Amino acid sequence: MADNELILTDVTKRFGGLTAVDALSMKVSSGQIYGVIGPNGAGKTTVFNCITGIYKSEEGSVRWRGEEIRGMTPYQIVARGIVRTFQTIRLFSQMSVAENIMSGRHIKSSQGWWHGICPTPGSRRDEKENWMKVGELLEFFNLEEFAATPTMSLPYGLQRRVEMARALAVDPTLLILDEPAAGLNDNETAELVDTIFSIRQKGITVLLIEHDMELVMKVTDYLTVLNFGKKIAEGTPEEIQKNPLVIEAYLGSEDEDDE
Amino acid sequence: MKKLSLVSLLVFLVVMAILPHLLDTRWQTVAVTFLVFSVVALSQDIVLGKAGMFNMGQAMFFGMGAYVTAILNSHFGWPIVATVPVAIVAPVLLGIVLAAPIVHLRGDYLLVVTIGFNIVFVQVLINNLGGVTGGPNGIFGIDPLRLFGFELSSQVAIYYYAFAVLLLTLAIMINLDKSKVGRALHYLREDPLAAESIGINTRLYKIFAFGLGAGIAGLAGSVFATQYSAVSPEAFEFIQSVLFFSIVLVGGSSIPGVLIGVFVMFVLPEIFREFSTWRFFVFGFAMILTMILRPRGIWPATFGKIPKFLIKEPKNGG
Repeated sequence: MADNELILTDVTKRFGGLTAVDALSMKVSSGQIYGVIGPNGAGKTTVFNCITGIYKSEEGSVRWRGEEIRGMTPYQIVARGIVRTFQTIRLFSQMSVAENIMSGRHIKSSQGWWHGICPTPGSRRDEKENWMKVGELLEFFNLEEFAATPTMSLPYGLQRRVEMARALAVDPTLLILDEPAAGLNDNETAELVDTIFSIRQKGITVLLIEHDMELVMKVTDYLTVLNFGKKIAEGTPEEIQKNPLVIEAYLGSEDEDDE
Repeated sequence: MKKLSLVSLLVFLVVMAILPHLLDTRWQTVAVTFLVFSVVALSQDIVLGKAGMFNMGQAMFFGMGAYVTAILNSHFGWPIVATVPVAIVAPVLLGIVLAAPIVHLRGDYLLVVTIGFNIVFVQVLINNLGGVTGGPNGIFGIDPLRLFGFELSSQVAIYYYAFAVLLLTLAIMINLDKSKVGRALHYLREDPLAAESIGINTRLYKIFAFGLGAGIAGLAGSVFATQYSAVSPEAFEFIQSVLFFSIVLVGGSSIPGVLIGVFVMFVLPEIFREFSTWRFFVFGFAMILTMILRPRGIWPATFGKIPKFLIKEPKNGG
């Protein structure tokens, strides 16, 4: 377990002349709920994209369990136990909730391509087992009654839950949540807090970006604060709340944004 | 809904099984064409409907299967049965080799590239490359299919051969929808980035779709060559690819949709033959109207094919 560490060292990502992430270093330890915060455009999502293989950082290293994962494709990184959700929900919108969650079982399924042409008893059993697992997740996220509903016809809060269920279907070691509370009402946010804690109880490390400060202060163990792509502070939520740099860069402007 | 499609599938199969005995020779030929083109359209559905790749070159794989059977039989004296595996494998390999460098292209770019492939293919046939394709006239005098000592040369025999091929294709289509690879194709069509981020190697599955589609089209091509005991380049022109493409769009990406599409495109024109040129005028408008009124096709794909035990009644009350 102690080896489930994600270590970023001097990660730099540029878009043309803009340095979106500037020599960022951070370390996510096993079992943590780790938060990345910062004002809009601070480069938070870019960091996540660099970790999950959607972008390749120009410099630095991203090590997961001691292995360099910088430059790997997203599916190779998922195979190593890192899975993410998106800020703008990306579900397979025409497909049902159960089918969406089933997509997370893809890498766990033992079926080969030939089973799509000619099934065998083994592939049928594998299919059944994975659907059972989908059933468990539907129950965990309280989505059972929507199993056959196309996700595009679900309200926003439920879509967020489906996306998290889909990510958990991979049986990840590290779950990356990009603004999981965006667009949720107070009730749903409270449920989300419970969910994040129960995910951690399963032994999954959680890395999240969030704008909802209350949520961040409640759930995270450790925080990194970004501004203009640079790390300006890190520490426990209590330390961060007292940090004058953070207050100036982020919390200070929060009042104006809040309306 | 599920019961309805099962019943309609059974009715369809029974009707198709007895059909040739109710028709005269001319209509038997039309019926075989319907079967063969249905197989090609279903193969196009794997690439276009399921995986969502704008492939406008399916007639090339169809033609390759036909020419493999024709060339191996007429130039090298292979019996037809022996040419069939090659007529499947050769298009599969060509499909994989051609698809590998292009599947990352976005829809419209992929479309243009596959049109290019189809045009090059037909030019190769017309220019008699390697002296085996017979040039613009094609190849004549292909042997009939001999199986277990029987010579399957009558239209009825060929009908059942084509029907068996269609049944095989339908079985593959149904299996595909209940498997990991089949779902992977749906996922990558819906959202490639999300699919990749959940662990699906989208490139691999796109190439798989091309390969499988090419193999099935190749098999249909081999049947086509046997039916007419001749092949010629114009049957595999780019315009044929356009027809297969339209069938999947107009029919909708589902088995009944594709079969209805083939019927409308290839059988109805035969029925309304006496109206000669007018029929295409009408069909053009029918296509336009279908796409406006039913943008997802006459019989669109349905999702939610999930095991029964997952479907729970909605809870009552709040």
